[in-house]
Amino acid sequence: MTDKSWTEIQALAVKAATGAEVPPAQALAFGSMLARHLADGGSEAPLSQALDTPATILALAHQVERMIETASVSGRVVGMREQDPGRRAMLISWLASLPCQAEITANADEVCATLSLSAPGLRARPARISIGSALFEQMQTLAARTYVPDSDASRAGGAGAGLMDLD
Amino acid sequence: MKDSAPQTVPLRPPGEVMRLARMGVMMPTRLSFLRVLVARLCAEQAVIKRTHWGMSPDGHGRAVYAVDVGGHTYSLVAIANDLPADQRSDRVIATAWDAAFVLYDGTPDTAEIDRIATNAPLQEAGRFGPRDLVLSRANKSVRMWDATVAALQNRDQPDRAMIRGIGYLMRTTAVYGNGKFGIADRHLIADRLGLGGPFAVEMLAVYMIRHFTLDLVQHVGGAKLDPQLARHFGVGNATGLGMAPFLVTHPVLLNNWMLARETALARVRARTQLSEAERTRIAELAQRAGQHLAQWHVPAPDHDAALRQLEQDWARFAQTLTALDGAQPMEALWLAARDESAALQELLVALLLEVFPDDVDGLAECMGDPFGALTAPFSGTDTLRAAIDADWDWALAQNYTAPECCRRFWYVSEAKLEPRLGDRFAEPGAELETPLDIARRVAALHADLPAQDQSVSTFLADHPQHAHACARVATLTRYPYAEIRDNLIAATCRPIDMLRCKLSFFGATKFDPKSDLWTRITLAQGAPLGHELSPDADDWWLPVLE
Repeated sequence: MTDKSWTEIQALAVKAATGAEVPPAQALAFGSMLARHLADGGSEAPLSQALDTPATILALAHQVERMIETASVSGRVVGMREQDPGRRAMLISWLASLPCQAEITANADEVCATLSLSAPGLRARPARISIGSALFEQMQTLAARTYVPDSDASRAGGAGAGLMDLD
Repeated sequence: MKDSAPQTVPLRPPGEVMRLARMGVMMPTRLSFLRVLVARLCAEQAVIKRTHWGMSPDGHGRAVYAVDVGGHTYSLVAIANDLPADQRSDRVIATAWDAAFVLYDGTPDTAEIDRIATNAPLQEAGRFGPRDLVLSRANKSVRMWDATVAALQNRDQPDRAMIRGIGYLMRTTAVYGNGKFGIADRHLIADRLGLGGPFAVEMLAVYMIRHFTLDLVQHVGGAKLDPQLARHFGVGNATGLGMAPFLVTHPVLLNNWMLARETALARVRARTQLSEAERTRIAELAQRAGQHLAQWHVPAPDHDAALRQLEQDWARFAQTLTALDGAQPMEALWLAARDESAALQELLVALLLEVFPDDVDGLAECMGDPFGALTAPFSGTDTLRAAIDADWDWALAQNYTAPECCRRFWYVSEAKLEPRLGDRFAEPGAELETPLDIARRVAALHADLPAQDQSVSTFLADHPQHAHACARVATLTRYPYAEIRDNLIAATCRPIDMLRCKLSFFGATKFDPKSDLWTRITLAQGAPLGHELSPDADDWWLPVLE
């Protein structure tokens, strides 16, 4: 296990999801969810599996979109059936990572939430987040897929290239 | 803060304000983050104390400074190195610097200073902890440094013209905060008095670095600087593309910065009368602005020509500032500037905000984004389309298949993990494009919306690639200044305009663009020195060295 800042974990998770070919909005939300999940002591296994099967991330994003949509109309408790324990845990973390207030309950096959969409969420964040080396390396490998290798053109076109008047 | 909000006129519309051509001429104001920080230090009558000094006669070694702000102690640990001239580079790809810094939460003991002294010179390759709040590094302006040391050693003072021309002894090439490389996340200190505003802790580090550079040059020179000259030394900064995407990836923050500024302007414009003291203040500041422009020269001919034009225009326009009569004198003044250049208008905005602190200063508390975007979902795709039609005409007007409308692509370089800008038709890597092409994405979303209304979640289930654009549209409905209303992948896009906007919010002066991709600036020039922080010392907008 190694300790990282919240920002380090969240930013790496966004890049990892992007490297797994998850579209930008879902990758951003996945990054927030992953940091929240680890900060709350959640298991790393479903996170790793989700990065291996990006369809899981899209499905979770879709579930949350539907819950928000329903909440915006009814204002009542909204429920989402999810029988897979790993996905259920990530769905809880996803809802907990939303910027709005979310009161969340869960049972064996359903996650329920009361979402106050215009009220800010105030969940505390820890100073450090612990992460296992296997998940961290998996994320680094995926993130590396998003980086563009240097080329002659990029070196020549970089900010400041050839213009270093060192006064 | 007042118990009731002041009167306002309607705010300038986002379609006018959020254009790169205007953002690229913005000026620092009393809402700029460094200014807000120094005002706080002045209000608290803070004192920068040197708590450790282990510098060799030629200025290499360690130093520690402490300051109390809002009931907490913060320490700057400075490590000065002997840097060979051939390693001195401002580019982010550099690996060695004249000095490295950590702003520390509390008072570091010897073991902590040793840890920082080991890691800070490594910068991105070092490892930092939650008591390390900011990581930075700086290079000397060798000309200014050597001339100042030589003058002091000769019991003389450095040349005023040279100070006017350069304006700093060292320039930072990066100031990292918010969790980078293991340093503290912003949320750990966001509720502390004085550090709640955007980039406040980074600005505290910059202010203390400036203090260190002045201390160090006087140590090496063996004599004191004239305080008036010392005050005119700020901290330089070289800033490139790495800063530009921030404005796109933090839309709520951008909105809150702009909204505070525009609200302040609207309050000032709504003033129905002026006191004699306010008239005098306007005249004084107008003269100071003219002198500042006259002392602001840059090597790039096109940028210098723009400055000279502004100087000339301002000299003409400033004459109208002496005749502020009538029922709504500030609105009349604003209307008098209606046909002037964007550069002159933005200078006028900064001046007007400077005159009326009671209308302006409380708005600094509204410039953060502690929560993220609190948006409501659209009731269906028809509502989503209507929102795009209402707010995104500027994005829909482009033909993104035309090469000049999509020539650029933003990406992250493998070598330094830094943002770069490529030519889609000449360079590899466009398939890994960073999603800053907001306008193109919203246009693509608009084109794919179904004829028959359906829920947005159903639409996105079939088109997940549009979720990003959908979120941006939702954000803009609640946060009207959240988007730069230009095509950021057009061949004509100039990242320097994004840098100017962001840096003006930092409080930068003396913008010195070196290309469309990077600029030098000066921070804290004219600010009170570390022993001068008092409520009446907070008057250093657009400093002038006589």
